[in-house]
Formats: sequence, C-alpha cells, structure tokens
Amino acid sequence: MTAEQKGIIDNLRKAIFEYNVDLAQESAKEAVEKGIDPIEALNAMTVAIKEIGDAFGKGELWLPDLVGASDAMQGATPVLEDEMKRRGVHRESLGVVVAGTVFGDIHSIGKTMVTTLLTAAGYRVEDLGVNVKAEVFIEAIKKHGADMLAMSALMTTTMTEQEKVIDALKKEGIRERVKVMIGGAAVTDEFAEEIGADGYDPTAPGAVELARKLLEKQ
Amino acid sequence: MKGFVRNMKPLDVLTGEQIEQIHSATLHVLRKTGVRFDSKRALQLFEKNGCMVDHDTNRVRFPEGLVEECLRRAPSRFHVRARNPNNDMVWGGNTIYFQALSGTRTVDLDTWEPRTPTRKEYYDAVTVLDGLGHVAIVPWYTPWFGFKHIPPVMAMPEGLAARLRNTSKFTCAGYSMGCEVFNIQMAQAVGAELRTMMAASPPLTFYEETIDAAFRIVEAGFVLLPTSGCVYGGTAPATIAGSLVSGNAEIIAGLVFAQLVRPGTRVIAQDFSFPQNMRTGAPAFGSIEISLHQAAFNQIWHSYGIPTDGGVCYPNSKKIDYQAGYEKAIIAAIGALSGTNTLWIQGAMYGELAFHPVQAVIDDDIAGMLGRFLEGIHVNDETLAVKVIDEVGPIPGHYLNQPHTRKWWKQEQFIPSASDRLTHSEWLKQGKKDCIEIAKERCEAICNTHKVDPPLTESQEQDLERILKEAREHYRKKELLSAIEWEEYQKDLASPGYPYS
Amino acid sequence: MIKEEVMALRGFLRRFKPFELITEEQVEQIHEGTLDVLAESGVKIYNDEALKVFKKNGCTVDFDTKLVRFPPALVEECLRKCPSSFRVKARNPDHDLILGLDHVVFFNFPGRDIVDLKTWESRPPSRQEHIDLVTVLDALPTVHFINNYPYFGYRGIPENMKEMEGAAIRLAHSTKVTMEIANNDIDRFTFRMAKAISTELFANPNTSSPLTCYTDQTNACFLAAEYDLPSMIWDGATAGSTAPASIAGAVITSSAELIPYIVLLQLLKPGARVAVANLALPQNMKTGAPAFGDICVSLHLAAFNQVWRKYGIPTVASSSGVSNSKVIGFQLAYEKTIPSLIAAISGASAVQIHSSVYGEITSHPVQAILDDDIAAMIGRFVEGLEVSEDSLAVDLINKVGPIPGHFLGQAHTRRWWNREQYVTESADRLTYPEWKNAGKKNDIDYAKERMEQILSTHTVQPPLTQSEEEEIEKILHEAREYFRNEGFISSSEWQEYMKTLQEEGRAQE
Repeated sequence: MTAEQKGIIDNLRKAIFEYNVDLAQESAKEAVEKGIDPIEALNAMTVAIKEIGDAFGKGELWLPDLVGASDAMQGATPVLEDEMKRRGVHRESLGVVVAGTVFGDIHSIGKTMVTTLLTAAGYRVEDLGVNVKAEVFIEAIKKHGADMLAMSALMTTTMTEQEKVIDALKKEGIRERVKVMIGGAAVTDEFAEEIGADGYDPTAPGAVELARKLLEKQ
Repeated sequence: MKGFVRNMKPLDVLTGEQIEQIHSATLHVLRKTGVRFDSKRALQLFEKNGCMVDHDTNRVRFPEGLVEECLRRAPSRFHVRARNPNNDMVWGGNTIYFQALSGTRTVDLDTWEPRTPTRKEYYDAVTVLDGLGHVAIVPWYTPWFGFKHIPPVMAMPEGLAARLRNTSKFTCAGYSMGCEVFNIQMAQAVGAELRTMMAASPPLTFYEETIDAAFRIVEAGFVLLPTSGCVYGGTAPATIAGSLVSGNAEIIAGLVFAQLVRPGTRVIAQDFSFPQNMRTGAPAFGSIEISLHQAAFNQIWHSYGIPTDGGVCYPNSKKIDYQAGYEKAIIAAIGALSGTNTLWIQGAMYGELAFHPVQAVIDDDIAGMLGRFLEGIHVNDETLAVKVIDEVGPIPGHYLNQPHTRKWWKQEQFIPSASDRLTHSEWLKQGKKDCIEIAKERCEAICNTHKVDPPLTESQEQDLERILKEAREHYRKKELLSAIEWEEYQKDLASPGYPYS
Repeated sequence: MIKEEVMALRGFLRRFKPFELITEEQVEQIHEGTLDVLAESGVKIYNDEALKVFKKNGCTVDFDTKLVRFPPALVEECLRKCPSSFRVKARNPDHDLILGLDHVVFFNFPGRDIVDLKTWESRPPSRQEHIDLVTVLDALPTVHFINNYPYFGYRGIPENMKEMEGAAIRLAHSTKVTMEIANNDIDRFTFRMAKAISTELFANPNTSSPLTCYTDQTNACFLAAEYDLPSMIWDGATAGSTAPASIAGAVITSSAELIPYIVLLQLLKPGARVAVANLALPQNMKTGAPAFGDICVSLHLAAFNQVWRKYGIPTVASSSGVSNSKVIGFQLAYEKTIPSLIAAISGASAVQIHSSVYGEITSHPVQAILDDDIAAMIGRFVEGLEVSEDSLAVDLINKVGPIPGHFLGQAHTRRWWNREQYVTESADRLTYPEWKNAGKKNDIDYAKERMEQILSTHTVQPPLTQSEEEEIEKILHEAREYFRNEGFISSSEWQEYMKTLQEEGRAQE
C-alpha cells in the first residue's frame, strides 16, 4: 500500500471515530479512485466500529456514539459495495438478517437501533419496516437467503404475532434455515423460549452480541 | 370526585419569552416540516380546512392561523362524567386529580419478579383502586395490560369490562385492532364517558389505526388525549427544549384533527415522554429530565389554555425501595407544583412493565400529601396567631393545651395511611413494620370490605357481557384469536366466580 | 472571574424564579406579625453580656426576667446589614463554600448512631466507622459542606467530649467547611482547632422554643464575632407544642426566635455573615414525637424561604433531612425527597439531606451515597433547561422528518444528551433481564460498591501536617482536663475514655 492509500484508509477510520458521514463518503470515493481494495477499506472501518463497540462495553462511550459511527459507515458502504460489484468480488458478510416490526405494531426505534448496529457490525440487513405480516417475512427470507430473522414487538397485544411468524416458518419448512431473534420491551426470556425463538436480548448492543453468538454456531 | 385545588401560582421554569420561542418554533415545524398522517380520510379533512397536504408522502403542513384557532376552540375547562356522578370531575384551570398508573404485569413482593396476574387479581386490584381515597381516574391498561388465559386481542375489552364492573370512577380505554368499537359500546351501555389517547408515533407520524380510533372516539363525543411518547435523543431531539417542540407539534396536530372532526372536542394534552437511556436504549424512567420536561410542558400548554395530563411517575427501580421512592416523589411533586391537571402515580412499578396494588396504597399517601401541599396555607389573624404567641410566651410556655392547637393541627397536617409513624421503641415492639407491610394490610382490608358504588344493574351487566361476546366472535372470525387461545379462554369464562365483579 | 472564584464549591445555580407558596401581601403579614412578637411579646435571653448589648442599642430589657423586646427599626436595620451572599474559607480552597442568592448547595443530616443495614437496629459507631462516614462525605460531590456530628461521637467517649472528638475527626478527614455546636461552650475549643489549621467554620447558635435563647448558645455569637466566623443559626420548633399549630404562626415564631441572634451578631460586628436554618416540624399528635416527613414540613419551608428571601438572608432547609422511616426504603425516600425538592425550588440556599435514616437517630454512609444522587437530581432540576436556537433544533427536526427518521445518530444528540441528562450513580438503570442477570442488584447494592470504592481510594487533600495534628490533640487534651475539672466527666467515664485513647494510640499523659 502506498503512503497515499494509507492516508485514505486512515481517513476512513477517522470518519468512523468522528462520526463524519461526509468524510466517510468522500474517502470511500477516493479509495475507489486510488485503487484501494474495497474489501480492505470496509474491513478497516469494521475494525474501527469494533473499537468503538469495545469502548462502549467499557462504559467509555454510549449509544449515540455507536449509532453515529454506524451511520458514518453507511456513508461509505454503498460506494465501496458498488466498486465490489464492478470488480466482481464478493465480501463475506457475517450473515444476512431480515428485520421488521410485526404485524399490528408500528414501533420502530428499537428495531432501527438494532438494524443500524447489525449493519455496522458487518451483517447485511434487509429492514422490512413496521406492521409486517408473516408472509412478507417469509418471502424476504427466501429472496435474500437470510441467515437470521429479527422481529420486534413492543406491545403485549402484538408480542404473540412473533409466535405466529415462527409457526408460519415451520409450515413453510424453512424454520431450520434461519435463527430467530426477538425483541421488544414486554418480551422476556421465558416468552422467547415458549414460542421457540432462538434468542432474545433487551438492549440493542446486546442484540448484536446475540446475533454473533447465534450465527457463529452455524 | 373532590380532587384538589391548587391555591398558589404554579411553578414556572420558563420565562414568557422562552414560552414564545418554543411556541414559535413549534408553529414553524408544523408549517415547514409538517406531520405525516397515514389516512386518506384525515388528509382530506386537513386539506378541506386549509392545510397543505402532500398525498404522496402523506405529509400535512399546518398554517399558523388554523393552529391557533383550534387551540382557542378546544375548551380550557370541562366536565367529565363517571359512572357515579359523585365521581365526575372538572379538568382544567387549577384543579388536579390523581390517577392510577398501569404496568404490564404484577410482581411477586418477595422475589420482585414479574408475572401475569389472574383474572381474580385483576378484579381485586380494580377494587383496591376504587377504594383508595385519592385515585380519581382508573385509566386504560389499569391495573395491568391483561390477565391469564385471555387472548391478547381481548385484553383491552376485558380490562375495560373489569373496570366498569368494579369501579364507578372515571375510566379510559385504549385502542388496538379496532377494539375501540366495543369499548365505546360498553361505556355507553353503563352511562360512562371515556378518555382515549391519540398517540403519535414519533417523530411526527400518526398511523392509520391510531387515526381511525381517534375518529371514532371524537365522533362519539368522548375526551381525546393526544400524546407524544417521544424519547429525547431517540425519536425527538436530545434537548428538552427541542423535544418539547417536536412533541408539541405532534400533540397540536392531534388537537387540530379533533377540532376539525368535531369543534369543541374536549382535549387534554399528555406528556408521556422520557429521555433515552444511552446505555440500554430503553427510556430512562425516573430521570430528573422528565420533571424539567413536564414542568415546561405544563407551563406551555396552560399558556394555550388547554388542560394537561402528565407527571407519569414510572421509576426505573424494580422494587418498592428507596430509589423507587425518590424517582416517583420527584416526578409527582414537580408535576403537581407545575400545574398538571391529572397526574399518574398510584401503583406503577418499573417502567411500564409492573404494577402492584400494594404500591398503589403507598402512592395514595403521596397523592394525599401533594394534594394537601397544593391547598396551601391560610394567612389570617387566626393563623398568624400573634395573640396566642404572646399569651404562651417563652419557655416554659407551650401550645399543647391551646384551643388554637386543637383546631389547627388537624387542618394543617395530612396523616398518611400506609406509613410508619411510630417511635423507635414502638416500632421494635410492633414487629418492625415498614410501609410495605402496613400497605399490605390495608390492601387486604380494602379488598375484603370495599364495595363499588353503585354496582352495575343486571341489565347493564348483560349488555357488557353481550358486547364482550360480540368482540370475541369478531376477533375469532378475523382469525386474530387462535383455536388454542379460544379453548383456554372458554375454560376461563366457564370458571366458577366469573367474572369476579 | 478570578480562578479562586471558579474553584469554590458554588453548588448549583437556580435559573428560574423561586416557587412562591403565598402572596406578597401574605409575606408582609408574616413579617409584621414577627416584628409584633419581637416588639410586644419579646424573647428571653439568658445571657447578661448579650442583655447589655441589647440594652445599649435601644431594646427594652428586663434583667430579672431576661425578657428583651426589640424595636422594629433595629430589627429591620440588622436584617439589612446581613450580606445576601458570602464565602466561607475551607482548608482546601477548592472546597470554599459560597452561600446565598441563587446558589443551591446540599449537605448531610446527622444521626446519633449507625444503622445496621440488615436488622435496621442502631448502635453507637466505632471511631473507624465515624472516620469512614466523614471520608465518604468528603468524597461526595454534592456534599458541599459538612454538618456537625455526623454521628454523635463514637463508642468509649464521654457525652461531653463526643462532639469534640467528632470535630477533630471532621477537621482531619475532610477539607470541606463544617460547623460547630455551642452546647456547654465546646466551641471555645473547637474554634481554636479550626484556627490552628487555617479553616473557617460556622458558629452554630441554636434557639430554644418558644422564644428563648440560652447562655451557651448566645455565647456562640460572641465567639463568632471574636473569630470573625460566619454563623448558621438553627431553629427547631415543633408546631402544636413549642410553636403554634398553624403554619403561618409557626413561621412567625421561627423567625422571631432566629432574629435576636442576628441582631446580636450585627451589633457586635456589622456585616457579619449569617444563614438561618429551619428544623421546624409538626408534632405527631399520637406519640408526642415530631412528625418527621409530614407534608407540613414542606409547607413551612416554602413559606419560610419566601419570607427570608425578602430579607435577603440565605436560608437552610434542615427539616428536609428527617424521616420517620426506620429502614432505607420507599417511605424514607419520599419523606426526604419531597421537602428537599420543595426547599430547593422555593429559594433555600442550602438543603440538608445526606446520610440520615430515622429522625436524628441513625445515619449511614451508604445512605449518604444514595442521597448524593437525589441532591444531584434536584441540583440538575434547579438549573433548568436551555432555550436557544441550538436547543430548539428546528432545522434538525425538519431534516430528520417523520418516521423512519430518528435522532440517535445525530451530532446534535451526541453534543447535548450528556448535558441534559443526569445519570444516577447508585441506582438500578437496567432492563428486567439485565437486572436478573446482575443478581437483581438494587440501589443499596450499588451504593455499597461505591462506598467500598471511596473508602479504598479517597484521601483527604491535603492531609493535616504533623504539627497541625499535634495542635488539635493539644486542644483536645485541654478540653478533656477542663470538662473533667468542671465535673462534666465522671471518674468511670474518664477511665473508659483513657482506655479508649490508649487503644487508639492517643493516650493522654
């Protein structure tokens, strides 16, 4: 790597640490221009994200820092992914996650936090939004070859929809293909076990750790 | 229902200029950014009344004149009708009423772990709330979101039925899966009014289900409670001032909606917002910022001449302990002193996830204390007592045997019913009871002796049961109620003692 | 602003107009009533030196009955002479205290004994436990100064030496400003100790209700003038027994009891620094004890603060620190928090809250740590909210728009959230599953951890020099001999005392 290229990589990292979406995008463009391997560029940012995650774990940084860093990464990712496509290379994502808030429920901030952090951590996330019916989840799982389904339900009246989706996965014969992670303020470990989900975590950063654990086993 | 009257000016945390700045910023957001309404019917209504509507993005932008006109149209004081007219209230101005605050589940008072309550526990808890002297309102989801053996889709109607049966105090109902249709019918069957919320989905969004329910409630002539449940730093700006702007824009949009559907609709504005816990992502219940937000909110909305509903006393502690005590007391005290017209306190434990009737008994004392505080003090010749002071003089003089003392101590003091007031030695002798132990005894006593006044008539009870049956069939037909859920539900309905009213 | 100003403990700044319980006219009526009582009923002052001063300055004095009647003009003049804000110098200038105007500070409420956190029963503390409590108070950021006591001495000390030994501990283990009681004139010794280590402290004349000032308490005013020290005057009436049962009347008697000391202090040294503390409580009409935690406390404090703000003299809320609960639990919290909060928003300059459990009987460092969070929360509240272009964030709201927009990743959020929020240190802030995984830790568990951490890492800055330590010990030695000779310490007490000192390595020759 030339000194100039190293400087660009440093800028990409800087963009993460300074939560600077514009710098991330500019540096990604420069990286492409200067012939830097897009996978290497993405990996450099992923390492920076992980450092921020470690600082969060130590209590030095907070959720806005995690999300700010993730957003900055999103400034660079589309540019680098386009370059990967152009080169015909493929970056191993840690996994494909289909995410959404279940049918009857329109709360999104929790899901948004989780999908943002999952993306930054290196997962490919297909966010289906809110009020998502079971058949829509199933279609997306098939279409994107998902490894994980992440469902959110804030209310007790909609919590049980998560069980319906899992039952639908079974009926469709694809339950074994995906790990199912659920979330929402009223959800509990017992409920997750009862309905046959693979895991549950009450916090957004915790959800990323859980995803790592569940998908590593595969 | 007596409630309390605040006999002094409320606590003001903002200057007049600051209120103007916030109001101006709110109007600007309503005008420039607008609010998203996912309902064709609502969009048409707004457009017809002078708003700028973008039908592609469902964005409604509000002209300032319309906003201020609708704020004027909404009444600043209004009467609300309970099942028992003695429990009617007047909301607005300088009155305050306390209301119970719900949680999803009950709590084991030894392990502090939550669990779903039974139907009997539900009904008994409503009885306790009916029996507590300072609970004026038993709102939606109270005491809990639902109870065992009933399908979630029936939680709201079953909960409302329990409240209409076991309390004659004013109650409320929420909406979900269109259940407000049945709620309205039940309320009308027993001659009660309802208050229902119109909850924005922050930032700046109202979903179809919410809007549909709001249409129904307003058309039925009931009270609407527009609310922003924004979380500052998440679904609203991280600043208290900024979250007030964003949240108030949402609430004003709801208020304008109500006035356009039915001019003169009774509206009470709710502050149900919290800061974001920046470690867990959950709302930071019990935080001091809630009180700053609340105090400013009350001040702003009273400047609009609209009654306020706030002081949502959720602690972050999972136990009935010191932390829960100070978290609830601060929110309650500031809510009361800054002039909220209704205040949520009795019964709530952690977040929105737990409630216990024993907690409600303890909280009822806080309500009584704050109500006493708001009544203020008398300053006149008799209370200034200069003559009595002269008569008693210095030591060895004292006031214990004075007629003045016999008259005034009772008027000044508020004696709580569930607190430890013993001396140390009495306390040791009587088993070291703390407020939880005392409240448990009181809770049991209320359960065993209190009767709702008046009980439902036989025909009212029949109507309720008929409407519930219709709701059950309706959800079964829509397949929102599975066969397994139905079976379990049926068993519960057939249990001896049903419905436990 | 000079660096010295910035370094002092200014507490929190109240940024909105104080809450007013009563009208201006009603404040006037209370003031008129107070002047009336002082001019017509008078106050008994058992101190001949003071009587002479009063007589010389125009009061009507009866040297037989000790009754003094105060002319209104003299009263108002002396009230005017008091500074509305002042600094008290600590041993470490970072701990200088600024009191008055819109500053709100907090401090601890004493308890005689330490409480057992399992059985909730009380016992006298050991010397080390006394030191530990003072160490914790020195470390806590919202303890802006330290009350006398905070336990009443420790085991093995005769009654009359308890507070003096306690004073020595405070002076050695904290550099925060403290105060000293006047009982039996022990302040004659403790003021010398303070001078020897170059710190100021508050003189502490107490009133006796109704309408009485005793000799030793009044002597404290003379000492304060001699040493040029500030005074924190304490009133502790019980409404319905030693004060009228009506709150308006009780505010009059509190004021009428405090004012004679103020007059004396201003006559001795015009411009003397003065603060007034209110520990007025209603009477529990079943038990005869004070009704700690009653809502009357808050009403009284609010009215009292409003009246004294008119006088421009810093007020201290003391009755905010006492509760009737024997356990650290829900009742203790609301009984202490409500009056503390109401005092702070109604204009108190200092609010007493940390460390007390039941009444004035028990105290614990864990409690002090829990109260640190409450004080910080109340402090955050009085500082209000900023309304500015940046905080209103209208452009940002427009940029984010409706759902799916959100504010979490915004620079504005990162910049502001920590300024707006106070994150509690010793509270359960977890969700249910996290809480279960953490072993269901609650506030007391967190506070215990924080206490361990403070005790293992915190050191007083700067520690006393060896000669300062020796000087204090010398004064204690003198005090012991004096009280022994005056008959305040019996032989058996003396023997036990000497044994205690020997065990501590401080044997008296």
